[in-house]
Amino acid sequence: MRALPVLATLLLGVCFAAQVQARKNRPVPTLDPVGSWNCVVYGHPAFGDERVLLNVAPDGTVHAAHERDGEISPWVALTSWYVDDATMTFTDQHSGRGYEADLTFETLGGRWRTPTLLGGWWCSRAPTDFGPKVEKAKLGAAKPESQLLPLQPSFTATPVYPLKAIRGAKQGRAVSCFFVDADGNVVRPEIIELSDEIFRVPILNALARSRYQPLPGEQTLRPGCRSFLFRLEPLAGDATVVEQLDPPR
Amino acid sequence: MARAQLIGLIASLAAGAIGAQSTNRAERPESRTVLGSNDYLAQGAEQIRMHQYDEGIRLTSIGLVQASSVNERAAALSNLCGAYAGKGDANKAIDYCTQSIALREDNWRAYSNRAYAYYLKGKYPEARADLDVAASINPDANTIEKIRGLINEKSLRATVTMEDHR
Repeated sequence: MRALPVLATLLLGVCFAAQVQARKNRPVPTLDPVGSWNCVVYGHPAFGDERVLLNVAPDGTVHAAHERDGEISPWVALTSWYVDDATMTFTDQHSGRGYEADLTFETLGGRWRTPTLLGGWWCSRAPTDFGPKVEKAKLGAAKPESQLLPLQPSFTATPVYPLKAIRGAKQGRAVSCFFVDADGNVVRPEIIELSDEIFRVPILNALARSRYQPLPGEQTLRPGCRSFLFRLEPLAGDATVVEQLDPPR
Repeated sequence: MARAQLIGLIASLAAGAIGAQSTNRAERPESRTVLGSNDYLAQGAEQIRMHQYDEGIRLTSIGLVQASSVNERAAALSNLCGAYAGKGDANKAIDYCTQSIALREDNWRAYSNRAYAYYLKGKYPEARADLDVAASINPDANTIEKIRGLINEKSLRATVTMEDHR
């Protein structure tokens, strides 16, 4: 009977320590999502790649404007955003896409999903704050159109397929998102999807060698993403069994 | 680089059977060949390990004649197979390995050596089949994965497809 209080105290102590440890293991957000963003949204089979202006307000609202045929559409309200464990979420009720952003990244971006589709998005912070209340004339002054111009690759370097991966019959896929500066260089690439670490270095090396059409005078970094599919095929007459890719998560 | 790797592989393959007792104690018992008093086989294995294939073949052939047990004969034949594979004579290698396997079906090195010989001939499906048998006998043998890697290198076409999202 005397041991009971001691045991209870010990149990409480263990629970407290576990809670502290769990808090320590939680990812800590390092990015403040509030502000205006130039984004590329990709992966929708019908919509293709979209250039989107996003305004994340401190009051919890999110507004989006799409670039269509060189024109910026009216601002559309999305659902409120909230953050849980360094993951920011909001939903576009018109397209049905639920957006997730990893706030441990250097910039706003992550994945979107519908019940049947999965894609990604990546943004660069706009130099001037714009939003639904800003008139179009002021938007013009902020030059968001140039930020919404699709990136034009001028040289696309192909990653080297690692010999070790070929020997191990490893296939894979990856998505890297990055910014493009005024000179057309790829800067601050981040791997946001990677099926195997073996492909990371070749991808980053290839991106470092790739170039886009420069936009002289453009001070804003333009966001872009590139997906990579590493595949192995048996040469004719050989029924090699290669490692199968997992379905997208 | 690939050539250097191949030479190293051959050495480990060929000398493996006879030399297993002293050099590879971590491997499974059935992968070893019990060495009797046949010094020719031991010295032949050592020569093959040192890439002295002709001398290794000469000594192993004498040892084969003097072999007193099925195990010794099987190991000698497997080593001759490895030596001929090392010399690039795949046909002779396959012949010796097949004889070795006929004597002992549980010698993974003989399958592994024959797989390498098939690889030299570009017969990748046959090589893979032998590697599968070798791996079923000794799943931990690094040599098997090395040969499998060499086959993959020759028989797989690697492509990288990219798509820009802009």
